Amino acid sequence: MLEPVRIQQEDFSQNEEVEALKASSKRMGGIATFIGCARDFSEGREVSQIGFEAYGSMALAEMNKLRSEVIEKFGLLDARIVHRVTTVQAGDNIVFIAAGAEHRAAAFDACRWMIDELKQRVPIWKKEITPQGDAWVTPHP
Amino acid sequence: MIKVLFFGPVADRVQTHEMQMDFSPGMTLHNVIAHLGIQHPGAFSIVSLIAVNQNQVHDKQMALQDNDEIAFMAKFSGG
Repeated sequence: MLEPVRIQQEDFSQNEEVEALKASSKRMGGIATFIGCARDFSEGREVSQIGFEAYGSMALAEMNKLRSEVIEKFGLLDARIVHRVTTVQAGDNIVFIAAGAEHRAAAFDACRWMIDELKQRVPIWKKEITPQGDAWVTPHP
Repeated sequence: MIKVLFFGPVADRVQTHEMQMDFSPGMTLHNVIAHLGIQHPGAFSIVSLIAVNQNQVHDKQMALQDNDEIAFMAKFSGG
């Protein structure tokens, strides 16, 4: 069984992640997921690839903390967070977030909260690789 | 010995991801920042988060211990 919180180079399967989430409880009535993927255009420039760098040990610890917090805060039955750290092409998956709850409202709210918190708290950086050169991304709100 | 780590845009400006500094009793985080900040002002101008042993630190007067790991980081942009 895949760990519910992971940093990995390879792509993830949304189906496998959702099945793993569902396997944690049969009381789950609502699952909300978020997938962040690579765009081919940013700040007026074509983007050919996006490279990621992480402070791996701290990032994983913070993601695990985030999962514990979101389960407690929203009364979830389970949650999963997977972030890729590699170089991806436009259209590739970057991050997967899933929140499983008894009802949909908590699942939606928790999913949004997780990705927003991840962007603020998890030490991962992205660099856009463009025909004009490479540039580290300034955080988006 | 103190292990100093740099990531992302900070690492680019320092031109390394890791360096070692000799530890001396009474050493503080501020001492490390002052020492490296003079050598790499461009890198330290974008440092917005500092972690010691993987915990974010706000108090620059924090006393360091031998074998501590310090990370200097720019704002995160994952996701």
